[in-house]
Amino acid sequence: MDLVTRRRFLQLVGLGAGMTAVAACGGGSDGTAIRYAWWGDTIRQQKYTAAIEEFVKQNPGIEVRPEFADYDAFQERITVQTAGRDVPDVFWIPSPHVMSYHDAGLYRRLDDISSLDLSQFPAEQLELYKIDGELNTLPRSVLTAAVRYNQTFLDEAGAELPPDDPQHWTWSGLQEFLIDYARDAPPGRKAIHYNAQADLCFEAWLRQHGQDLWTADGRMGFEPAALEGWFEWWEVLRRAGAATSLSEQEGASPEWEVVGDKVLMTFGNSNHIADEAPMFPDYEFNLRMMPVLPDAAPGHRFGYLSRIAIYQGIDDDKLDAAGKLVNFNINDPGFLRIVGLSVGAPANPRMLQEAYAVANEDEKKMLAVVEQEMAEEQRPRYEAPPGSGTWRTIMIRGVEEVALERASVSEAAARVIAEIDRELGQAK
Amino acid sequence: MTQQTLVRPAAASPQPPRPRRRPPSFRRQGGAAHVFLLPFLLGLVLITAVPLLASLYLSFTDYDLLHDPELVGLDNFRRMAEDERFWASVGVTLRYVLVSVPLQLAFALLLAVVLDKGMRGLALYRSAFYLPSLLGSSVAIAILWRQLFGHEGLINAVLGWFGIEGESWLQNPDTALSTLVVLNVWTFGSPMIIFLAGLRQIPEELYEAARVDGAGRLRQFSSVTMPLLTPIIFFNLVLQTIGAFQAFTQAHIISGGQGGPLDSTLFYTLYLYQQGFQSFNMGYASAMAWVLLVVIAVVTAGHFLLSKYWVFYGDER
Repeated sequence: MDLVTRRRFLQLVGLGAGMTAVAACGGGSDGTAIRYAWWGDTIRQQKYTAAIEEFVKQNPGIEVRPEFADYDAFQERITVQTAGRDVPDVFWIPSPHVMSYHDAGLYRRLDDISSLDLSQFPAEQLELYKIDGELNTLPRSVLTAAVRYNQTFLDEAGAELPPDDPQHWTWSGLQEFLIDYARDAPPGRKAIHYNAQADLCFEAWLRQHGQDLWTADGRMGFEPAALEGWFEWWEVLRRAGAATSLSEQEGASPEWEVVGDKVLMTFGNSNHIADEAPMFPDYEFNLRMMPVLPDAAPGHRFGYLSRIAIYQGIDDDKLDAAGKLVNFNINDPGFLRIVGLSVGAPANPRMLQEAYAVANEDEKKMLAVVEQEMAEEQRPRYEAPPGSGTWRTIMIRGVEEVALERASVSEAAARVIAEIDRELGQAK
Repeated sequence: MTQQTLVRPAAASPQPPRPRRRPPSFRRQGGAAHVFLLPFLLGLVLITAVPLLASLYLSFTDYDLLHDPELVGLDNFRRMAEDERFWASVGVTLRYVLVSVPLQLAFALLLAVVLDKGMRGLALYRSAFYLPSLLGSSVAIAILWRQLFGHEGLINAVLGWFGIEGESWLQNPDTALSTLVVLNVWTFGSPMIIFLAGLRQIPEELYEAARVDGAGRLRQFSSVTMPLLTPIIFFNLVLQTIGAFQAFTQAHIISGGQGGPLDSTLFYTLYLYQQGFQSFNMGYASAMAWVLLVVIAVVTAGHFLLSKYWVFYGDER
């Protein structure tokens, strides 16, 4: 057998290296490449990919490299990217990490980027978006806590929800109604699924009690009694057979596919109707604002702003393109027409009005409930502090303890608070 | 003829001059070998050795991935002693190792013995039995397991025929871990194939001799098969024990990454992952990883020490 000569071998290695280098250059462009990271499900990924294609068509010379992941994986990836100083140029911010990322210096200021048009936002609104006095993130959408119910099931039962006014649409009134509904519900049907871990709804409960999820100085803003009251509200329903057990709903945070056709009602984020109603096309779903306490604290209504940012370490020559991409996300009606409203109502007031033109029937219900909530008086709301990233997981364990009857309501509440406090204490 | 060619020349003929240098072809081949080994060596150093040493350093730091690590000495290791969830994860993992490994090996051995009987379509059966091992860590398992062990799953449907109304096995803290044990036992393909190879190594003459001596099937199994198979059992035991200590994917998929309900499926590695990538306590997670490494090393060493009492190698007297 002929042996490979040294010269021949080196030639082959050189050829291979050259081809690898050429291949590595493939897919590049002469223009500016922007990395854009977002989260969601497959449908959202497809819609945003289509929107990016439209953006690239409108902006020749800009290439967008998508970095898409499921919500949990997104958080893990961007944190690891932060450790490696390899953060995407434009990225969505998960709610538990708004302040963690701010502390880590990930956000670049946005009010000096010429390609980013902020004129559609009222000045006082822009002021509200600032973190530590700097406009370094922008809301791409607004979510509110909401009650979603199956109108078809209601009609079948010949029932009506309590009137939507502060005298009747109360926590206790709703509780009575749900227990009443469950008594005569068809076999296999419950009034509500056990959703005590729904974060925005729990926050609505707290704010009505004059408390907050988080304080301005980055601590927990609620007392054990408020959490106990929340757990107890759910436990009354479960013990009465009005709420599904964790077994029936396959866990403390069930998938809508599992419970969607088994319950009359669910608590959750207003935007979820956009993705979840189409899963059961035979049913009509409606939305309402959360019920209220008779003596609810003033200014308890609130909206959660889901934010987008540009990375602090972005190259200067990419900044203009990144600004255009953010602009496309928050200011362009064409963008809404492609992606729909699954991420919530637009935060941009002009886009909110434009949204009605592109929204389907379910999305219009979401827009209406968000507008209704945002029109109410609102006291300040504070973002989740560093170290709070796992509070939802801790809450789920608390819910499991209570609903599986492994701990009393007060024991579970005390444990949840102690664990969240410890996590906050461990944060830098 | 052959012998003649092998006879060393009697006369002390002058030794040919020893080549000062290796043949060029050998050198060239050696050089090429090193170049071809280079990707592996680079991978070993960059992907294994460097991160390993980095994690050792990080285990002595407070590191949240977002800020620079700060040295904290042994704090991470001290913290483990007071961490309830850490001990919960240790308990879950030990129960899993102690129950699932023997069950899996017993099941794999049983199937291997059956398949060793030389039945028709053996290759097909072998592939079919190996299939679960390929599926065991896939996302599809979460759906399959819910279909089996969920509130409205197959198991409860069968129980329903006998008037028993079952709860979701996955959402009951007392039964959730058992479903993962079943999953591990179900993925018996890899040890089964190794057992099968071991069974094929046992000489048929030994069975013939045993039969001549009047040994029945059970006696043949206990006196011939098992002793000669002990090196293979030992090999599988070591591998599967290490694998069980490192079990992660099944619990992550089936519990949605939570280790629930109520930490009943919180494997050590799952808690480590939660600490590192959800709570961003990468220093603590690194310390946990090193503790796991030491525990696995000690358990493996224990296996080797004990092996001299029960593992029989054919060349031993």
